Amino acid sequence: MGLIESTGLPGDPAVVSHASPNWVTTRLDFLMNWARKNSLWPMPFGTACCAIEFMATAASRYDLARFGMERQSFSPRQADVLICAGRLPFKLAPVIRRIWDQMPQPKWAISMGACASSGGIFDNYAMVQGIDTIIPVDVYVPGCPPRPEGLMYGILLLQKKIQGESVTDGALRADRPVRPDGLFLPAERVDELSEPFGNSVHQTRSA
Amino acid sequence: MTPAVAAGPSASVAALRAAFGPAIRRHDVVAGDTIVLVDAARVHDILAWLRDTPGQRYDYLVDVTAVEYRDRERLLEVVWFLRALERAEDLRLKVELAKDGPLAVPTCTDLWRGADWLEREVWDMFGIRFSGHPDLRRLLMWETYAEGHPLRKDFPLRGHFSRAEQTRQALGGAAEKHYSLEELSIADAMHYLPDDMRERLAHGHHGEVE
Repeated sequence: MGLIESTGLPGDPAVVSHASPNWVTTRLDFLMNWARKNSLWPMPFGTACCAIEFMATAASRYDLARFGMERQSFSPRQADVLICAGRLPFKLAPVIRRIWDQMPQPKWAISMGACASSGGIFDNYAMVQGIDTIIPVDVYVPGCPPRPEGLMYGILLLQKKIQGESVTDGALRADRPVRPDGLFLPAERVDELSEPFGNSVHQTRSA
Repeated sequence: MTPAVAAGPSASVAALRAAFGPAIRRHDVVAGDTIVLVDAARVHDILAWLRDTPGQRYDYLVDVTAVEYRDRERLLEVVWFLRALERAEDLRLKVELAKDGPLAVPTCTDLWRGADWLEREVWDMFGIRFSGHPDLRRLLMWETYAEGHPLRKDFPLRGHFSRAEQTRQALGGAAEKHYSLEELSIADAMHYLPDDMRERLAHGHHGEVE
């Protein structure tokens, strides 16, 4: 997505050397990715109605365990994929950031629903306009809330993405900490991502 | 059993007028509920009287909130919702405050402990102070929130700051900043706090961040 910028710090994706892929690494990739994608442990970060759909996805009718997710990890230290199910107020921004930082690599994030992905209908003073201004996101699931089928499709997309990863790609596993200015993305990009859209520009307001 | 909607105002209005005279400015009946507008200076006496007088006994404080109307000419209102549990009767008390005057009313935390968080929320959202409140900090927004009081009509829907600045302040603030000294001492998280904040909390100076 072109969001990664070089900071020159150790661990920066831009300064990690890139070994070229060969027979050994591609076989290794295949095995590792196969194992990783089929044993994703989700860290459920449920804040709103999306969490209800997430629970339905995990329950017997839709049975998330079919995809290797039988263990919900309620500790970020034993989790692989953070699923933000619901809106994220600014007050929770440092919390989800800390949970993300506590998760060990390799880790992925799914932004479930309109609010987590864009702020949704909550274009107001209290709400983060998309969690991708706080943490990197791999898969966005649309819907308000998404049906369990939608979330499962997102998870399958994530598995497809994981299957395409390579150990020779140093940028994949590089941590992207909060920048020295206290933001995760450059300020102008946060403003751009948070711009009003759709109906939210026509809201009635008294001020 | 559904109680019949009372035709007239609650009997408490006449009793209030007898006891407080001109401090009871006017009353109104809306959808069967009685609303009494009173003097801000006497509101604590009136609340105490309503709670303790036999025959009144409004022993349950349902809610404390405030209203700012879209019509800019209208005054700010602070509203107390009272209920007499035994008689199953409700009464609503209102006080009007001029927007350019001091936005303060007396606390009623000494009458109902449950008023604590209700009054903190009104302070947080409307900027109305409750004099005598033991711990008047913001309740919903965090302690260092600097954009103002969000439910006021002059507060822009998206806040005063840019989204980048809001995100920076939110991410820059440690999660520990949201909690009180008591909550932090339970979690043993005091040492994460910035020095100035630890100092203020240790000396009991809460809130009051403008």
